[in-house]
Amino acid sequence: MARSNPLGRPAGTSPARRLLWPLLLVALVATACSGAAAVPDEGPYAGVELEIPLEKPDITLIDTNGEPWSLRDETEGHLTLLYFGYTNCPDVCPIHLAQLDAVLSRPGMPRNVEVVLVTVDPDRDDPATLRRYLDQFDDDYIGLTGSLADVQAAQIAFGLAVAVEEEDGVFGHGTQVFAFAPDGVAYTVYPQGTRQSHWIEDLPLLDDLDGDQS
Amino acid sequence: MRFWCSTIEAPWSWEFRAYPGIWAAVALLAGPYLWAVRRRRERVGVDPDQARRTRFYIAGVLAFWLATDWPLGLLGASYVAWAHMVQFLLYTLVAAPLMLLGMPEWMGRRILERLRIYRAVSWIARPVPAALIFNALLVFTHSPWAVEVFRASEVGSFAMDVVWLLMGFLLWLPIISPLPEMTRSGPPVKMAYLFLAAGVVPAIPAGFLTFAETPLYSVYELAPRFHGLAAGTDQQIAGLVMKLGGIPIIWGTMLAICVKWLRPAEFSAGTRISGDGTVIPSSSEPDAVA
Repeated sequence: MARSNPLGRPAGTSPARRLLWPLLLVALVATACSGAAAVPDEGPYAGVELEIPLEKPDITLIDTNGEPWSLRDETEGHLTLLYFGYTNCPDVCPIHLAQLDAVLSRPGMPRNVEVVLVTVDPDRDDPATLRRYLDQFDDDYIGLTGSLADVQAAQIAFGLAVAVEEEDGVFGHGTQVFAFAPDGVAYTVYPQGTRQSHWIEDLPLLDDLDGDQS
Repeated sequence: MRFWCSTIEAPWSWEFRAYPGIWAAVALLAGPYLWAVRRRRERVGVDPDQARRTRFYIAGVLAFWLATDWPLGLLGASYVAWAHMVQFLLYTLVAAPLMLLGMPEWMGRRILERLRIYRAVSWIARPVPAALIFNALLVFTHSPWAVEVFRASEVGSFAMDVVWLLMGFLLWLPIISPLPEMTRSGPPVKMAYLFLAAGVVPAIPAGFLTFAETPLYSVYELAPRFHGLAAGTDQQIAGLVMKLGGIPIIWGTMLAICVKWLRPAEFSAGTRISGDGTVIPSSSEPDAVA
């Protein structure tokens, strides 16, 4: 005989079964929503390993003091993280720079690191503008600008497509950070979506790659 | 136009964004309630407690609206972990209990009857199952995987908000259910339940957030910064909000239960004191208590 509840209705279904459908619904929604991308985890690095390591290009641009600045000469022996962006970038550039600021200020991280931002928007990013922008993150960050032809040549030297203005003042540009080990070679790049834990894992490894070991 | 707040990639802006799905949900929560109360008044007559209940219920719906809609809903879905935690507290510790306080018994029974979930709700509305299920869902819905997956889409974000509101109902059913048979635990059990279910256990994941070495949620870590707030600092604030934000409500409720429990009978509403100091309960005739 079916038991009745205080509402006077027969109860033929167990409480646990009553709870099953919401759980199934949640599982269904979770399945439908999944598909988040992850940074590849093969190899020793959390970053994306380059099939052909990139030797540091020999480029010279203008720094935030208005002086010529040679990438190879100024960063020799340093772990160098280089990124092409611009100060009016609404999303990826400030996230990368804030992530690096948070990671590099942690204890245990290499001190031998140079962070370099090369603008893809030299018309608006003069040395003073770059300096003001970078100082929001770290006043040791290096900003580079130059003529439009020079910064485009720099992007090509890194194997990137030249940044183009997609809409009013917003550029489509490469979103990866190039990580040059102290031996002057980039073995990895760090795309949009790189997390602090990835940097923390990789920077000490990269810092150990000096010229003697490579 | 989006119908529900979910993760977006645009930088944060104080420019208003409309989410009509949220407005529809608010209307669906408030409209049928007000209609049913009015219909009941026309059929059965005026209930002197209903005006107070209506105020509670509408306050609960407004808390739900505040937690879900722009700006807090978008901040929590896309930008900062502290807003995610404030949303959770609003759903579970403000909106849900207020809506329960505002629900008359006849309405509660009718909802459970129509949905055919009376036995299921009676089963989980006991302190031990409620505490276990609430905290299991708390851990699940605050896990990085769940936040990243569910908040990424409007449907998932909607599901998470609904689950949080249901979790709030579940948490408070053993304390303030409109159905008296669901709140029969004694005051010590109720206080212990609140202390453990809503005070102690949630402090554990909150501790993980506060003391984690790196940001746990990629949604907030990789979001455009909200007024320059660093991801790590944001997560520490979120942990503190989760750990401390519920204290006034949880401990305030425990205090109220305790005071009511320990209150001498002569201070109960409706009692009278006879000339010789004898306590006369409100339901007793004076000459029957001598």
